[in-house]
Amino acid sequence: MVLIFGHEVEIGGVLGCGGLWWFLLAEPARYSTPVESFQRVHNLTKLCVSLILIMSTPADDNVSSNSQLSSDLFGDLLDSIIVDVASEAHRIARLGLDRNLDEEEVELRLSAEARARASDPSHSGEANGKYVVDIFGQTHPPVANEILECMNCGRSIMAGRFAPHLEKCMGKGRKARLKATRSSSAAQNRYLRGSPLSTHSPYSNSTGPNRSNGSSGVAGDENSCGSLREL
Amino acid sequence: MLIWLLSGPEVRFWRASIKRPPTPDAEDETDREPTIQEIINIKLIESGEKERLKELLRERLIECGWRDEMKAICRAHARKKGRNNVTVDDLVHVITPKGRASVPDSVKAELLQRIRSFLSSTAL
Repeated sequence: MVLIFGHEVEIGGVLGCGGLWWFLLAEPARYSTPVESFQRVHNLTKLCVSLILIMSTPADDNVSSNSQLSSDLFGDLLDSIIVDVASEAHRIARLGLDRNLDEEEVELRLSAEARARASDPSHSGEANGKYVVDIFGQTHPPVANEILECMNCGRSIMAGRFAPHLEKCMGKGRKARLKATRSSSAAQNRYLRGSPLSTHSPYSNSTGPNRSNGSSGVAGDENSCGSLREL
Repeated sequence: MLIWLLSGPEVRFWRASIKRPPTPDAEDETDREPTIQEIINIKLIESGEKERLKELLRERLIECGWRDEMKAICRAHARKKGRNNVTVDDLVHVITPKGRASVPDSVKAELLQRIRSFLSSTAL
């Protein structure tokens, strides 16, 4: 294929027309004047070129249809991606997530202000000064009042007093440690002196300052032994 | 008895009541030749090339920030219209002209190149 004037042309056609042109030109010139011979050449050239053009197949169509198809397909792909973006943006708008992204600090400030206003006792929602009204209009008592059962001693305790109770009951506090040490030291005393201890409140007070917080049962043992000897 | 029921003039009425016009799909398929575009589309989908091209285009558009631009336009439009009044259709109509125009030339050229090479490789 050869491209002449944007048209694809068969090589055979070109050669054929060229040959025709040459053949016609080579005819013995019956016309004498140069002007007429020039005109003859000119006409022959025009004839041959037009023959070439007629015989050629226009190549534009193939290329253009191909590119048209490509553009259409590209447009198709782009459309589906646009729909994806639009549906995601629609979801964000409907769920209010775009507000959360940009204006979080503004919302935080506003909610803090609202909370301050709500906890202000001069507020109209504060008719009884004990309870705070939250943003849903609910009130909560200052101490949680659900009743639970302690797993250590088996007593029923209020939820708001549960942690302090566990402290005393399980061993962080003095009395709890004394309880534990009393049971172990009572065993020792029984072994050593043969008499169980009944009173431990007097020496618990006196040994309070001596005791270090969080000491183990061994140290407690020593202390109680010492205080026992004191007595 | 069945044979008696199936014979006789009443059957014609029955058959007429059961007879329905053929579903449109069947009619259309037999009347029309699938166009070149449809053939290409089917070939694209079947070979999995369409999915690959779509992923490539999506990746390129994210890289060049086109996606964020479109999302910002949607957000602004939604804020203007009122958050609960927007529809997907609405947003699509808003984005489509701007979106088509603002695809970077390099991205478009790359995709067109790949599409054309696929077209030539499928030997129309």
